[in-house]
Amino acid sequence: MGITLENVSYTYQAGTPFEGRALFDVNLEIIKKSYTAFIGHTGSGKSTIMQLLNGLNIPTLGSVSVDKHVITSTSNSKDIKQLRQKVGLVFQFPESQLFEETVLKDAAFGPQNFGISQEKAEQIAREKLTMVGISEELFEKNPFELSGGQMRRVAIAGILAMEPEILVLDEPTAGLDPKGRKELMTLFKNLHQFGLTIVLVTHLMDDVANYADFVHVLEKGKVVLSGTPKDVFQKVELLEEKQLGVPKITKLAYNLRKRGFLMEELPVTLAEFREGIVYG
Amino acid sequence: MDKLILGRYIPGTSIIHRLDPRSKLLAMLIYIVVIFWANNMITNALLLFFSLFSIWLSGIKLGFFLRGVRPMIGIILFTTIFQLFFTGGGEVFFHFGFLQITRVGLNQAGIIFMRFVLIIFFSTLLTLTTTPLSLADAVESLLNPLKPLKVPAHEIGLMLSLSLRFVPTLMDDTIRIMNAQKARGVDFGEGNLIKKIKSIIPILIPLFASSFKRADALAIAMESRGYKGGDGRTKYRLLKWKSIDTFAILVILIIAMLLFILKKS
Repeated sequence: MGITLENVSYTYQAGTPFEGRALFDVNLEIIKKSYTAFIGHTGSGKSTIMQLLNGLNIPTLGSVSVDKHVITSTSNSKDIKQLRQKVGLVFQFPESQLFEETVLKDAAFGPQNFGISQEKAEQIAREKLTMVGISEELFEKNPFELSGGQMRRVAIAGILAMEPEILVLDEPTAGLDPKGRKELMTLFKNLHQFGLTIVLVTHLMDDVANYADFVHVLEKGKVVLSGTPKDVFQKVELLEEKQLGVPKITKLAYNLRKRGFLMEELPVTLAEFREGIVYG
Repeated sequence: MDKLILGRYIPGTSIIHRLDPRSKLLAMLIYIVVIFWANNMITNALLLFFSLFSIWLSGIKLGFFLRGVRPMIGIILFTTIFQLFFTGGGEVFFHFGFLQITRVGLNQAGIIFMRFVLIIFFSTLLTLTTTPLSLADAVESLLNPLKPLKVPAHEIGLMLSLSLRFVPTLMDDTIRIMNAQKARGVDFGEGNLIKKIKSIIPILIPLFASSFKRADALAIAMESRGYKGGDGRTKYRLLKWKSIDTFAILVILIIAMLLFILKKS
């Protein structure tokens, strides 16, 4: 099952003089419990796809199916609401969505919208806040008193509190320091191991190589390349031509190979590179 | 939100585009006064002809102006119909209970309708052919003579140009925050009135918070670039009053005079 996009096209403001087409006949599958990454330039349609996954965008043509839910241009809002709980969407700079007077209330806001009682919602929120690394004494604070990094964690906890099966992350580490970035990426990795499907949109090829097990490359509203990071990043020339680049270590290996260093397959992570040097 | 035509600028090189924003703004002010003088067939026809001529000069399709009228059509029809049915006097054409259509009523309805359409046409013409920034410059420049009366012309101009600059940014912010809250399960525009109002809070508070943050950052960025207020500042965009601007004002004054003579007293 998982997520399937079938012949999906999406046009913004269809039928007006301002219409703009964002996706052209996209077919792709996101396997259940996988860690799938999307890469591509700004304006390549990544965000449009993200918002298709939980019904914020409704496909102009074609269908998006998530498990049993099928969303087409004629779907009604009730189906879509069920989908929204199933697919948690973490927007870029999610800290800008905080609004409640305490951290705990804000994190409990999502589940309450889906009909869960306040006590139960707060209980889930406590658990998720601890999970993202917010300590107990911050629970009763005003979210606007926290640091930017802490606010981001609270926002992410608010999405996790909805207990989604699929977590869609739009550049979750943008603007964070290296430590915060690493901590968050580790958190997502752990969630993935607990059985969540993770969909990651990123510009960081190293993150794709280190964490994802599947990657889709988008260009001008079309999927141009799909596969495991290992397969995709072999095509160094193609990706550089598209100005997307490859992980740093792959680039190093590629340059070594050009200078005559024998390497059948380019490594995409540091561990692979080390292994290749020692045993290869 | 993109259906909003008012406040949108369409680049072009027509005569109207090249007019000084001050002359356009002045013309607009005079024109609005003049519209209220039009109270018979001839004056209205004259104004309609003048408006359509200005639109033709601007080289922008009439469709844009009609679309500018569309969001207001509810209000226009509401007022027009009220005028039509509830104004008594003169020959009675139609009678049904307390509803009646009379000659005066018909006349009034027509005048009100024309007023709305003409004002919208002309103000749309102003905003479609003038960049928001030059409009703000024009306001500042026109307020300058009032400085001795302690009118803070520079500050008003600055605030105006800053707010115009941030309208699209805040619009984007609103949509972004709205989508983020939808993803958290908020239904906008559903349920009863209280529920609807409550669902606005998750947009309003983040929007205010981000506006405060933006204002802070902007103020610091301005100060660090040496902004100390209006005194002793030079201007990058200089407004230049050309002979065509004088001509435009003269034309509008002639129209005003004609109307003053032709109007029914």
